[in-house]
This record gives sequence, C-alpha cells and structure tokens, in this order.
Amino acid sequence: MRRYEGLWIGLVLFLLVVWGSPSNAATALRIQVVGSTTVLPVASRSAQKFMESSSSRILVNAGGSGVGIHSVAGGRADIGMASRGISLEEKKRFEKSHLKIHPVGLDAVACVVSSEIYESGIRQLTREQIAGIYLGEIRNWQEVGGPDRQIVVVDKERHRGTRHVFMQYIFGNASQRTPGTLLVTGSNNEEQAKIAQSDSAIGMLSFAWINDDVKALALLDRGKEILPTWETVRQGSYPIVRKLNFITAGEPKNEIKAFIDFVKGPEGQKIVAESGYIPIESSQP
Amino acid sequence: MKADFSGLGIRHVEPVGWVFAVMNFIFLLCAVGLGLFLVVESVPVLRSEGWGFWLGENWWVGETFGALPMICGSLIVTGLAIFLVLPVALSGALFTSEYLSSSIRRRVKGVMELLAGVPGIIYGLLGVSFLTAGVKDVLNLLDGNTLFTAGFLLAIMILPMVLTLSEDALHSVPSEFREASESLGLTKLQTALRVVLPQSLPGIVGAVLLGVGRAMGETIAVMLVIGSLDRVPGFNFFVSGQTIPSKLGREAAEALGSGLHWSALMGLGLTLFVMVAVLTFSGNLFIKRSSQ
Repeated sequence: MRRYEGLWIGLVLFLLVVWGSPSNAATALRIQVVGSTTVLPVASRSAQKFMESSSSRILVNAGGSGVGIHSVAGGRADIGMASRGISLEEKKRFEKSHLKIHPVGLDAVACVVSSEIYESGIRQLTREQIAGIYLGEIRNWQEVGGPDRQIVVVDKERHRGTRHVFMQYIFGNASQRTPGTLLVTGSNNEEQAKIAQSDSAIGMLSFAWINDDVKALALLDRGKEILPTWETVRQGSYPIVRKLNFITAGEPKNEIKAFIDFVKGPEGQKIVAESGYIPIESSQP
Repeated sequence: MKADFSGLGIRHVEPVGWVFAVMNFIFLLCAVGLGLFLVVESVPVLRSEGWGFWLGENWWVGETFGALPMICGSLIVTGLAIFLVLPVALSGALFTSEYLSSSIRRRVKGVMELLAGVPGIIYGLLGVSFLTAGVKDVLNLLDGNTLFTAGFLLAIMILPMVLTLSEDALHSVPSEFREASESLGLTKLQTALRVVLPQSLPGIVGAVLLGVGRAMGETIAVMLVIGSLDRVPGFNFFVSGQTIPSKLGREAAEALGSGLHWSALMGLGLTLFVMVAVLTFSGNLFIKRSSQ
C-alpha cells in the first residue's frame, strides 16, 4: 500500500476541502453581478467591503455592457453592470423586463496610443483624424504628423460600452462600422495589453486604464485642445463622458437594494474614486 | 434471464449486459441530441440567410450573418498547425519508438503524456505573453496577433498528443517485423521508414485526426492571439483573423437567448460540428482503404 500513500492523503485532503467549505452558501442570498469590465473594479471592491457586514454573497463577473444588460433582462443576473445607457434596440427588446438604471459613478473615455507614438510627438488628434484612421483612410502615422509607421487600429467588440460612447463621439453613431480595424479586443485589460505590446497602436480606453505604456491623447476640437484629464471632465469640456450604471429588472429589493445603496453611499463612492472614476454627487454641477 | 440482442447481431448477453446497453444508449442519445440541438437552433438563421450564411463575408449583428471569415480562419489555422506539427511529431515519434532504450522511452512518454493534458488556456497565456511579441519581432510584422501565431500556438499545443499517440502506433508494430527486416540486411533507418511506418499508418492517421479535432475546437488559446477580426484572409496568413470557436467565445455570452444572433452562433457551432465530422469520417475511410 505504500505506493498509494500520496494518493490517499491527496484524496482525504480533497474531501476535507470539499466538506469544509462554507456550507451556508445554500442558505445565504447570492447576488450575481455581471457586465462591463469598466464598472467591474467598483463592483468587486464594493462587494468585498459589503460582504464584511452582510451574510449575502456577491459574485461579480465580467463580460461587457451588452452581456450585463442581456443577463439581467434574461434573469441570469441580479445586477447588470453597464458603462453606457440602454440602447433603443435593447429598450425595445427588453420592454417586459422594466430595466432600471442606477448610476454609480462617472467615467471618461480617451483616445489612446502606444507610448512610442506618444513620445514621437503625437499628443493630440482631431475627431476627423480619428475617424479617418478607423475608416481606413489614414493608414500611416506620418499622415497625422507621426513617424513613418503603419497604424495598428485596435477596436472593441461591438457591444462594449466603451466602444458605444467613443464611436458616438467620433462618428455620431454608436455602432459605426470601422473597416480600418486590425484587431478586435474585448475587455479593457485585453485592449490595454494589446496596445502596450504594440509600438504603433491606437485605441479607446477608459481613463482608469491609462498608464505609462498606454497614453491618452488630447482631442482637438475646432482648434481648441481638450486635455484628457479629470479637470476637463469636471468642467464639462471633455466630450467623451459616460455614466457607470448598475441595472436591475424592476425596482431592486432587499439585499440587492442594500448593495446598490451601499455603492451609492459614502463608502461606495469612496471606492468609486479610488478605482479612478468620479463619484456621482461631485460630478453634478 | 438473458437479454436477447439477436436482432442487433449480438447474442448471449449476461444480465449486466443490459447495463452496458443502457450506457451505450445514453452515449448515442448524447451524440444525436447534440446534432439535433445544433440543427434546430440554427434553423432561424439558415432560413433568413440561406446559403449566404456560409458564403457571406459580413457578420453584422442585427443585419446580416456571414460565416465565411470564421470558416476560412478555422481551416487556415488548423491546416497551419498540422503542417507545422507533422514533421516534428513523426520524426520525434520514430526516434522515441525505434532508437531510445525502453527506460528512457518510458520517461519521455511520461513527460509527453503530462504535456498532452495541459489545458488550452495555459498555452493561450504563454502565447499572449511571449508568442505574439516574438512573432512580431522575428517576422517583422505590423502586429503579432495573426492567423500564423494561432496556428503556431496550436501546433505547440497538439504536438505532445500527436507525438505520443503516433509513438504508440509505431511501438505496437510487432518486433518480428523489425527482426525480419534487419535480418534481410536493411539498416535501422530503412526498417523504421519502410517497414514500421507503413505498418502503423492507421494509428498515426488516428493520432493526427485527434490532434486536428483538438486544434479545430480550441477556443481560448486562439481567442487570445488571433486578433479576432472577421475578414476573409485570402492566402496571407500573417494578418489577424477569426476562427469559429474564437467567435463563439467572444459573442456567446452577449447573444444568449437573443433570437437570430444566438441562432447564428449555433449555426457556426453546427458548421464546426460538420467540419470535424467530415474530417473524422474521411480519416476512417482512409484507414479502412489503407488496411485493405
């Protein structure tokens, strides 16, 4: 039997872990939160804080704004996260679900480039230039004053909230087709990584994901430069701003309501600020 | 009480045979059920798109669904993987089976079998952190997220499996064949290539087919390195593309329970199902032909 000793010990440990894990999971309320990766940091940090003083368990999963809205409307989640509003099409399709929006914070989307491009001197682009790049009319950084290098145009999956607000600003159409695209990414993390790996990429990212490898560009609007800073967002001059929303089917009740109120309350709003977004009250003029 | 399966050409079944029969029935039910499910779910999209579903180049949710970019991507990526993996796997298998002493062989096999069980996501993580950057620098491309990268990654992924299964096939050739051939004066290499390899061909084809199946169905590893752009790539493998599984992986959660979009994804699933089925079937046919 000596040779099976390890196996037995392993089996016993496994069973201990299985039986030893909290069995009150069945009795405690589980709240499923699904959706936007932009809202996700706020939701998961708040959930952690909230669970310290509550018996309910909150599970936070990514997927994108579209997934968040579909899941909550289809009853597969209690709270959907969305970094955009509900589109007309979705409103029509999910009429019966009586979707209700609960804004929890404010975010801005920047046009971002690889740090190499930023350092080569490109600090700002006009709306027309960005549109040209995404339509495939501008293919080389030289055409907008950069180095002689082809542009790696990074787009997002069509249902993503970040894409909706960005395309809405650039083209006036949230679901604009972009034949210039070279890569399609999903979550903010994925897009950030792909742009950082490249040395000639352009993309769109929420302010909270901007770092040393992925730099935000200023927008040039009618000869006026609008810097991508929280200052301009607060002043109301930065144009690509969106609300971060929790979405429920009908009025939230009990624990779900308690969690939403927690995120909207002082503690939750502190987490919103720590996550790199603007709390909801301070943004209101 | 004895079960009577004489109608099926089976006789003398012990009572426990019934249990086995039920299990077999469950398996059949799963296979048929899966096929039926895919067909039924994809009826709406096939009705609205017709043949255009397989021939259309544009996948615009809410307007039109064309699966050609994904079908091409899947074929290219799988083809590339097999093309890259075959020489390595076959020569590795021949060397392991014919040249290594049995104790070393056993260790090598152990490592390969361990590697064969590593899940796709691990390879995907390796790919996204090293391979994309490597491919970009070495080949001096605009970007490293390409069909080639995906094919290369899949080749690495299925290599241990194809290698170890081909090796099994080679090793199972009775040693009398080798002895006879060597006593006729053939060298070890000639024996391996002219006697052992042809004898084990059906097994090797089976190994490759399993590899193809895994490569064709791999979702997450491909999704991370392929660029996920829906377009028909033509014969340029060094651009981003999309495979059927990576498309399903990207859009399944969004489309769940939403009419035509969901149906279109199920149509993609059906297409993949049929592609793998045709491949397996033709592989079996080949084995049958070559063994006659």
